[in-house]
Amino acid sequence: MNCYMNTIPIIIDDKKLEVDPGKTILEVCRENEIEILTMCHLKGVLDIGACRLCLVEIEGVNKLLSACTTKVAANMIIRTNTDRIKKYQRITTELFFAERNHVCAVCVANGKCELQDLGYKVGLDHIRYPHLFPQCEVDTSHPWYVMDHNRCIMCTRCVRVCNEVEGAHNWDVMNRGHQVRVISDFNSPWGESVTCTSCGKCLHACPTGAIWPKAIVQGQLQKNPGMINELVEKRKMKL
Amino acid sequence: MNRQDLKTIIYAEKKKEETNKYKHKICVCCGAGCISSGSEEVMKKLQEEIKTRGLENEVEVIPTGCMGPCNQGPLMKFLPEYNIYQKVDCSNIAAIVQSQLIEKKPIEDLLLFADSREKPFIDARDDPYFKKQLKIALKNCGHINPERIEDYLVHNGYLALDKVLFEMSPEEVIAEVKQSRIRGRGGAGYPAGLKWETVYKYVNDQKYVICNGDEGDPGAFMDRSVLEGNPHRVLEGMAIAGYAIGANKGYAYIRGEYPLAIKRFELAIKQAKKLGLLGNNILGTTFSFDVEVRIGAGAFVCGEETALIASIEGKRGTPRPRPPFPAESGLWGKPTLINNVETFAAISPIINNGGEWYSEIGTPKSAGTKVFALAGKINYAGLIEVPMGTTLREIVFDIGGGIQNGEEFKAAQTGGPSGGCIPAEHLDVKMDYESLVSLGSIMGSGGLIIMDKSSDMVDVARFFMEFCMDESCGKCVPCRVGTRMMHDLLQKICDNKATQIDLDRLEELAVYVKETSLCGLGGSAPNPLLSTLRHFRKEYESRIVQHD
Repeated sequence: MNCYMNTIPIIIDDKKLEVDPGKTILEVCRENEIEILTMCHLKGVLDIGACRLCLVEIEGVNKLLSACTTKVAANMIIRTNTDRIKKYQRITTELFFAERNHVCAVCVANGKCELQDLGYKVGLDHIRYPHLFPQCEVDTSHPWYVMDHNRCIMCTRCVRVCNEVEGAHNWDVMNRGHQVRVISDFNSPWGESVTCTSCGKCLHACPTGAIWPKAIVQGQLQKNPGMINELVEKRKMKL
Repeated sequence: MNRQDLKTIIYAEKKKEETNKYKHKICVCCGAGCISSGSEEVMKKLQEEIKTRGLENEVEVIPTGCMGPCNQGPLMKFLPEYNIYQKVDCSNIAAIVQSQLIEKKPIEDLLLFADSREKPFIDARDDPYFKKQLKIALKNCGHINPERIEDYLVHNGYLALDKVLFEMSPEEVIAEVKQSRIRGRGGAGYPAGLKWETVYKYVNDQKYVICNGDEGDPGAFMDRSVLEGNPHRVLEGMAIAGYAIGANKGYAYIRGEYPLAIKRFELAIKQAKKLGLLGNNILGTTFSFDVEVRIGAGAFVCGEETALIASIEGKRGTPRPRPPFPAESGLWGKPTLINNVETFAAISPIINNGGEWYSEIGTPKSAGTKVFALAGKINYAGLIEVPMGTTLREIVFDIGGGIQNGEEFKAAQTGGPSGGCIPAEHLDVKMDYESLVSLGSIMGSGGLIIMDKSSDMVDVARFFMEFCMDESCGKCVPCRVGTRMMHDLLQKICDNKATQIDLDRLEELAVYVKETSLCGLGGSAPNPLLSTLRHFRKEYESRIVQHD
C-alpha cells in the first residue's frame, strides 16, 4: 500500500473505521469482517451490481446502493443489516429459488452451492412465491462439460470470467427479462463453440450447479471460485 | 461558411419571404400520424389540383411536421388565413381549393373540429385548443418544411448558435440555461443547467453530447414529433450544449421505430454540415461539433441513460449502477451530457430570449412548457404543449375537448409504464413535477392516456406490468423475476382467483422491486400498480376471493 495515501473515516453499522479511499464498500466490509451477502460478485472480475443482495443503506442517500459497485467516501455512514435490508435479502433469495428449477437433492453442487448457502444464511424455510418452473434446456454437447440452464441464476460470473480472465468470450447473454439465457457463441451448442478453450474457469466461477464436468453425480462437484482471483493476481506479477 | 455568410443567407431568405410571389401557403401535415391517415396522397392530389387550376405561381404547398390534433388528420392549413381543415380526403380537395382560393371563403363544415363543435373557429388560433397552448419546443412544428434548412433559418434558426459562439462564453451559456430553470424533459426532471455545469467541470480532452430520442412509453410520441417537425432545432440545441460543456462530438440515439424521424434528422445533419453550421470550425470559429445518428433496436430499457450509452458503444443494452454518473464517466468512459430531445429543443429559445423569460413561464419549481401526447378516450388526441402548472382539467376538457361519447372521466395515466393514474377527484392537479409525484405518479416524458369508465384499473396495472416484464433487460433479480411475479399475481386478480394473501404479497413485492432494482425501469415498474392501488383499491378488493 502507498504510505502517502490518506485514509478516510467512515462508519459501518456503528463501527468507526479508517479506510483507503478508492475501495468499494464491499471490499471494506470484507476486510473488516462485516458480512455482506453477494451472488454476482466474484473477486477477480468486474462487478456489475446485478444480484442486489449487497444493497446497503447510506445516510443522506435516498436509494439503496450496491456495496460492490459503490466506492467509499469520507464520512459515509453505512448500514448493512437493517430490518429492511434483511427483508429484501430474503425476498431476493426466494425469487432466485422460484425463478428456475433448483432441486438440491439431485444437484451435483449439493453441499457446495452458493445459492444453497444463501438460503441457509437468510433462514429460508419456504418460498412464498409460486415457482415458475420454466422449461430449460440442458446442453451436453461439450465433450467434457454440461451447461444446465435449470440451475442458472444469471449472475453472469461465467460470462465475465470467460471474457475478462480467459479472454475467449464464449459466453454471453441473450433475450430479455425472465427469458434471458446464457449462450455459447451466437447461441449454438457449447460443443460447437469456436471460441471456447475448454479451460474450465466457468465451472469454478459458477455459484450453483449450472456448469459442471461430466461423469460426476449428485454432490460430487468440486470447485474453487477463489482460483479466479489467484489467476488474476498471478498474471499481474512480473516474470 | 462564416458568420457573415449566414447573415447573408438569412437576409436573402427573409427577403424572399417578404417579397413572396405566393399569395397563399398551404401546409399539409406530414408527421407520421397524418401520413398514416393518408396525408401524402392528399398533398399529391392538392398539388395536382393547384396545377390544373393554374395556381402554382400563387400558391405554395409545403409538407410540415405535426400540427397537434393527430386523430383529426390528415390536416391541411391555409396561410395567412389560418384555416385548418381536418380529415381531408382526396375527394374533397377540389371543393376546398375552389372555395378557399377562388371564392375566398372557407368551407365551414370541413374545418377543424367542425364535427364536434357547434361552430368551428374560422381562424384556428381562436380555438381554445390552440389558445390554451403555448408552443416553445414545438414552435415551428406545423409551420415549416422540416426538410429545408432555409425554412428554419428564416424562423431565426441557428441564431442562438451564432449568438453563443460569438457573444457568450461557455460559462455564460450554462448560466443562462441554469437561470431558465429548465428541468430534463426525459422524465426524471433533473435541472438541465446543473447537469451541464457538472459535465463542464470535469476536465477531459474528449467529452460527448447525447440526445436521447429512444422514446418507448406506450402512447407517447413527443420526441418523434419534434424530430420529424423541426429536426434543426434539436441539432442546434445539441451544438450549443457541445459548445457549453466542451464537447466536439454528439450522438442522437433515435429508436428504429421512427424511420421518418431518422430520415429527417439525418437530412438535417447533412444540410447543416453543408452550410458549415456543423462540422469543423463552425461559422469560422475554432468550435467544431459533429453529430451522428445511432438507431435503437427496439429495447425500451435503452432509454435509460447508462443502457443507452452501452448500446452506442456496441454492447448489449443493459444499465449499470450509478454512481459514477455519465457526467463523470459516460460514453467510452468520458464525461457525457445526456438530455432528452425535448430539452434540446427548448435550448435555442432560451438562448434567444434569455433564461429569465423561460423561467417566468410555468410554476416556480417547474419552469417552462411541457409537451404531452394526449391519447386514449379523449376527443382530440394528439400533441399539445402547455405551460407547466396547467391543470389536468384544462388539458382534458378545454384542450382535449372532453371524453369521447360524452362519457365520464375516470383516470389519466401519466408517465407511461413508469407513471401512475390520476383519478377524477384530482382533476384540478397542476401538471408539474412535484404535484404529480405527490399523487403517486410522475411527469415522465409526457405520455398522457385518458381513460373513461370502461377501463378496468387492475387490467391497466396488469398491462403496464406486462410491458415492464417484457422490457426488463434481465440483469438484476428484482426487475427480472419481480416484475414476472407481480404480473402473474395481477393476472390472478384479473381472473378473480386471487386471495387477500396474494394482494399482500403483491404490495410487498411492489415496494421491494421499487427500492432494490438496478435502474429506473425496475425502480418505477411498480408505479402503475401502486398508484392504482392507492386510488382504486376497491377495484382490487372487489375481485379478491373471500374465504369463510
